[in-house]
Amino acid sequence: MLGYLLRRVLATIPVMAIVALFVFSLLYLAPGDPAAVIAGDQASPEDVEKIRKSLGLDRPFLVRFTEWSLQVLSGDLGTSMFTGLPVTELIGQRIEPTLSLMVVTLTLAILVAVPIGVIAAWKAGSWLDRIVMALAVLGFSVPVFVVGYLLAYTLGVAWELLPVQGYTPISRGFWPWLENLILPAIALGFVYIALIARITRATMLEVLSQDYIRSARAKGLSERPVLFVHALKNAAVPIVTVIGIGVALLIGGAVVTESVFAIPGLGRLTIDAIVRRDYPMIQGIVLMFSFVYVLVNLAVDLIYVALDPRIRY
Amino acid sequence: MNESATSMPQAFAQAAEMPDILPPVRVRRGLYGFAWRHPTMAIGLLLLGIMLVVAIFAPFLGTDDPTALAPAKRVREPSAEYWFGTDAFGRDIYSRVLYGARVSLLVGFAVAIFASLIGLVIGLVSGYLRALDGTVMRVMDGLMSIPPILLAIALMALTRASVQNVILAITIAEIPRVSRLVRGVVLSLREQPFVEAAITAGTSTPRIILRHILPNTMAPLTVQATYICASAMITESILSFIGAGTPPIIPSWGNIMADGRTLWQVKPYIVFFPAIFLSVTVLAVNLLGDGLRDALDPRMAKRL
Repeated sequence: MLGYLLRRVLATIPVMAIVALFVFSLLYLAPGDPAAVIAGDQASPEDVEKIRKSLGLDRPFLVRFTEWSLQVLSGDLGTSMFTGLPVTELIGQRIEPTLSLMVVTLTLAILVAVPIGVIAAWKAGSWLDRIVMALAVLGFSVPVFVVGYLLAYTLGVAWELLPVQGYTPISRGFWPWLENLILPAIALGFVYIALIARITRATMLEVLSQDYIRSARAKGLSERPVLFVHALKNAAVPIVTVIGIGVALLIGGAVVTESVFAIPGLGRLTIDAIVRRDYPMIQGIVLMFSFVYVLVNLAVDLIYVALDPRIRY
Repeated sequence: MNESATSMPQAFAQAAEMPDILPPVRVRRGLYGFAWRHPTMAIGLLLLGIMLVVAIFAPFLGTDDPTALAPAKRVREPSAEYWFGTDAFGRDIYSRVLYGARVSLLVGFAVAIFASLIGLVIGLVSGYLRALDGTVMRVMDGLMSIPPILLAIALMALTRASVQNVILAITIAEIPRVSRLVRGVVLSLREQPFVEAAITAGTSTPRIILRHILPNTMAPLTVQATYICASAMITESILSFIGAGTPPIIPSWGNIMADGRTLWQVKPYIVFFPAIFLSVTVLAVNLLGDGLRDALDPRMAKRL
């Protein structure tokens, strides 16, 4: 068991190294001259040269990569070209709203999607099941900002039920904080809920046809413990896997959701960096999110052990 | 031989006397039959067909120049003259939305084709040649650990905004998923008796890959390609919406929505028309994909 945990933790190191190598190489792999692109069309040749120097493009790839890797390992993600401040500091200032949005969305999605998926599998073929499946297809098809604007316009602008814009820090109280995050979380969670509900239904369908479920029913258990204890526990591994994989959707979607609901988080930071062509900033954000994603999936692997005692590689 | 020849007509004769237990099977043919058997695919194809017609014939559907600025006619509400209204620069939203179909479909189809082809090659090679598998799949694991939209944003930050670069960026972000899928299929095919038989018979490796493995990857790859097309259209609109996609002058659905972003609380129609077109198109492609999946793999149809 300890061996498995240790091996899983160690296995993330090469993955993170490849992520870092790839994110770094983008500067060299991108077609055309990145320095000229970043400088913009009105830039003089001197400006381009200055940017080339500041990006380190004038020195050999391996030298730069070694320097940069050592920097990243010591917790330094570089300096923003526009503000001149360290990237880590800027990320630190903006991380709370994004983290809040993602935690609320994750919680909401799991609380909604898993029961929906279980019930859809239980009533497979019924009208309820069909509605859930149709909504799931819709969830995959309607982009996050469309759901966002639809919710914001109906619930926020037309009916004035919830605030549409902005963010309140959690230090100003739990309800004001949550109130601002409800609409963004539903918008961001829509596709995620569809994904989790669909996998939950598929896995539950499989588990429910097993013999031990029939035994559980035969010994007189009522449906609720059969579904949520006997069946769901054994369907948990694929569901947890998809929850982990889906975090990539949350990260990508958060950038857009923050833009729709004017939340001053990392998404806003990203969009500002795009407009200003602040590449070190973008690089730092991509790297940070990728590491978070790797760690989430490491956590998922570790949860497997708790869920399924058979997993002991 | 002789026995069976005589007993067959007898069996037929008996069959004729048996009562009709089952209703006769009605074989539905033609377009109607196709729609009856695969309703999701039929709806998807129909909607996608409409969008294709809109994209191809956009200049003949009562549109104006989608990039023409007319400051005097700024933010007009939808009316008989401007069906979908005009945006903050006085551009006709109906024209922009119709021309936007071209960008979305082009990006969706191009990414689906390129990502499938490149992913197919990587998946075939790494699935069949074990020596390469470890390295290639570690690289793919690394690539898959970067959320696709962020990877595309990083690439777009380094290149000039253009439709080609958007296609390139989204293709790179989608390749790992395809190669993973193909590799998985190849790994299971390798163990099949017909592949082992081909190896025993001395068939060369390239020939086994091309003649025995490749054809069997086509069904799952086609389904995957439709899903990639759908997700590429969403990614393109997201990139354009946040300013990292097609150049602002090009009427893409993401760009139109980005233009309406500052005004959406008072003039929601600027955002909603492109949003509806985008959602319907992505839905059409997803339905087509679901239909294809059910038709190509009936076992999966019951599960998902």
